[in-house]
Amino acid sequence: MKRVIEGSHAVAEAVRLARAKVISAYPITPQTHIVEILSEYCAGGTMDARFLRVESEHSALAALIGAQSCGVRTFTATSSQGLALMHELLHWTSGARLPIVMAEVNRALAPGWNIWTDQTDSLAQRDTGWIQLYCEDGQEVLDSVLQAYRLAERVYLPVMVVLDAFYLSHTYEPVDVPSEEDVDRFLPPYEPRFQADTENPCAFGQLVPPGAYMKMRHNIAMAMEEALVCLREIQEEFYGIFQRRYDPVETICCNDAEIILVTSGTATSTCRLVLRSLRNRGEKVGILKMKLFRPFPAAMVREATSRAKKIAVIDRNFSFGASGIFAQELRAALCNTPGHPPIFGYIAGIGGLDITMELLEEIYWKTRDTAFPEKESVWMGV
Amino acid sequence: MIEIANAIPLLVPHSSQSTESNKTGSWRFLRPQFDEKTSPCSAACPAGEDIARIEMLSAQGSFKEAWEMILRENPFPGVCGRVCPHPCEGVCNRREFDEAIAIHAIERFLAETASRYDLKPILPRLTAKKQRIAIVGAGPAGLSASYFLALLGYSSDVFEAMPEPGGVLRWGIPIYRLPLPALRSDIARIESQNVRILTGQMLGREFLRDAAERYDAVFMGCGHSRTAKLGVPGEEMSAIEDGLQFLRQLRQGDTISLSGVSAVIGGGNTAIDVARSIVRLGGKALILYRRRRRDMPAFEEEVQMVLEEGVELIELVTPVRITAEGTQCTLTLQEMKISGEDSRGRANILPAEGKTRELRVERVFKATGAEPAEDWFNPPDKTKISLALSHTLLFCPDRGPALVFGGDLTNETKGVAHAVASGKQAAMALDILFHGGIEAIVPKLTACRVGQGPSLSMEMYMGGNRRLRNTHVVSYEEINADHFQFQPRITQPRLLREERRTSFEEIDLKISTNLAIREADRCFNCGICNQCDNCYMFCPDIAVIREKNNDERRINYDYCKGCGLCVVECPRNAMTLREEDI
Repeated sequence: MKRVIEGSHAVAEAVRLARAKVISAYPITPQTHIVEILSEYCAGGTMDARFLRVESEHSALAALIGAQSCGVRTFTATSSQGLALMHELLHWTSGARLPIVMAEVNRALAPGWNIWTDQTDSLAQRDTGWIQLYCEDGQEVLDSVLQAYRLAERVYLPVMVVLDAFYLSHTYEPVDVPSEEDVDRFLPPYEPRFQADTENPCAFGQLVPPGAYMKMRHNIAMAMEEALVCLREIQEEFYGIFQRRYDPVETICCNDAEIILVTSGTATSTCRLVLRSLRNRGEKVGILKMKLFRPFPAAMVREATSRAKKIAVIDRNFSFGASGIFAQELRAALCNTPGHPPIFGYIAGIGGLDITMELLEEIYWKTRDTAFPEKESVWMGV
Repeated sequence: MIEIANAIPLLVPHSSQSTESNKTGSWRFLRPQFDEKTSPCSAACPAGEDIARIEMLSAQGSFKEAWEMILRENPFPGVCGRVCPHPCEGVCNRREFDEAIAIHAIERFLAETASRYDLKPILPRLTAKKQRIAIVGAGPAGLSASYFLALLGYSSDVFEAMPEPGGVLRWGIPIYRLPLPALRSDIARIESQNVRILTGQMLGREFLRDAAERYDAVFMGCGHSRTAKLGVPGEEMSAIEDGLQFLRQLRQGDTISLSGVSAVIGGGNTAIDVARSIVRLGGKALILYRRRRRDMPAFEEEVQMVLEEGVELIELVTPVRITAEGTQCTLTLQEMKISGEDSRGRANILPAEGKTRELRVERVFKATGAEPAEDWFNPPDKTKISLALSHTLLFCPDRGPALVFGGDLTNETKGVAHAVASGKQAAMALDILFHGGIEAIVPKLTACRVGQGPSLSMEMYMGGNRRLRNTHVVSYEEINADHFQFQPRITQPRLLREERRTSFEEIDLKISTNLAIREADRCFNCGICNQCDNCYMFCPDIAVIREKNNDERRINYDYCKGCGLCVVECPRNAMTLREEDI
């Protein structure tokens, strides 16, 4: 049934439909609306779940690590400083192979205090072993959360569903909220391969010697590779029930494009309009939308850009002393491909600054009119 | 669902080996231990009652056990729950948080509950001894001495001049403060401990000489039953009445009719009792006191009540002459002025020169200081004292029985609880004297002090668990107040002022069981373990062991890392953290 809801509520509806059993979170703008409504669902009986109030994000994730170890489906949501505070336990979650799902609302890190959107908070957690899915609109948010549970519980790695602050979290859009029956078909109850059991006491996460540790790390690396395969399978199954599909990378008019603009999050929607406008004027432009960031879909990126002459990556984030993070990842994915197109890096929309159609068009012209990138990153609008 | 072939195995760090193999206790350099300490209330109680434990048992509904805890230290719970000015409440740590625990109300509740169900206490007693003790005076000191001697295995004879035992409790304190059934219940229980009370025995001075034949020691607890002289012209007139005598007549059941205005001279509890009795008999009373209200030796609560009942207090006056004409007396009052304060904050007074006034009243009552009725009741020459203790004087002549003076005869503070302290000290001192000689008395008594003393514990003396208690008195700073919630003290149910002024009915009413439990539950239980199990809950190593058979808690030092959480989270300072001996 189509409903006009906030991006935050699209998350909450998905968590309700996924029948999560334990939810623990600490409120932080712009994540608050997600957990507010979930706490109401728990208190009012709409959900048969426990909502744990905790004193910090660190504790929120710690509580879920305990709950998920007991073999139940769990959920948390956070943002910015909250995610940073969780950092230690992000590593723990993946190391302990717990399929926890988190909604992460992209918000700039302080100081100065800034509550608006910026991807640096989630991208800074790229080495923690979490799968990361970036969303463009409310429907994609709802669908991604449902898919996240399937994926996490398949490969035993945690999944972060990432959405832009305000542009997505606080924006009302029509969203098709599926029926419980359909969701139950897609997402059966969680059947853990391991769990804490009072009948058979054991300890998790204890001391491990170097050899065994390295094997376990390699095992996680293999699970990440497996996730790439699984996500495509899950998409097919999701399409069969809901007639919607999200590829790890979405290619838009890339077949004949000379210049490909690489985007993520809500900036993609704006870019779609720019694309239409430029195409009408005969410009051969395409878009590569990055949905999956971890595991990084390098082969798909190579395939999608193989025919382009130039690539322009728009990064709403920055790794100080290096460049935009998506640009870095693309460079790493293409560097061993002989004759690959040059990669232009643009930094835009930092701290919630608007990424307008004009700005994106300006990026396009700059790329078209420059033969080769003069520097790694060009800061737009500074 | 599409299953991928050759699913990757899932490697999870996991162990079924018990973590008990890791003896984390070896990391410890600080050692927490259960270390029960002394509550300020118990140290302030002249009878040394284990109040923190009494409140704990009461809150748990173990009323008989709580009542027996009192009886181990004080044979008069029914009396003390009513008339003791409860110094315990004055030092209650809970005062720093909200309000003191109503300890006296719970004590009275326990006494009444025991009476209602006709409970028989089970008290430890030592084996019978051959020595016999004579006790002169069946007041609170003498009865306490006989009771504690009985617990220690001695039989005693109590000699009393009046027709019924009780002393000031029976013949002084008015029944609106201490009704007869409450007193008789306490005394009957003392008698049931193998104490023989002989009433109507007017003894003479020769008793002390003759006692040698029958007794190994004599306890003198004759009290102060005669009002001291004012030293004022006109005092000897029959119109000037003795306050103590007046109270005694009332307690004998004499019919006294009173009208007009009566002047009561004095500022102690006797003056208050006389004035309040006059009001109840239909008269009007004036209290004449030579110092200020706040200097009055009477209990503050009593002063407040006497004023509520319509008695007028005239401060800073002293009678210098009394004359009588017909049915009226004229008092010449000298006004007094203050000239600084003494070390205890009492006003030093001097006559204000030329300032006198006359007061005409129907009756005059002397209620100043009291003294022993007979000269031989007083301790003999001070140079012959063998041992002076806080509540007793000991004389051990070369020949004849040991002589112990106690109660009002020796106590600076005249009160039931101090009389009990006297009787207890005398019983212990005699037991030590008989078995170890006079030199052993002070060291042995010191070992039985509650806190820093002078209160003594009979339970400790008899080898009970209380002897393990640390003498450190717990302060409010040592209480973890985070574990308590504000809760007001119970309001003592009481007769209305109008009801009080027209009858001798008991003023303070009893409290209900649920109120008593709620009030006792407010108690911090300073320094003692009440099995709240905070230590158990907070221990990260599950090293606090709860014994299944009893209430004991102990620490498993194989696993205790010495983090000290248990000590910090103990709400009542029943634990201590010490450096580990290395």
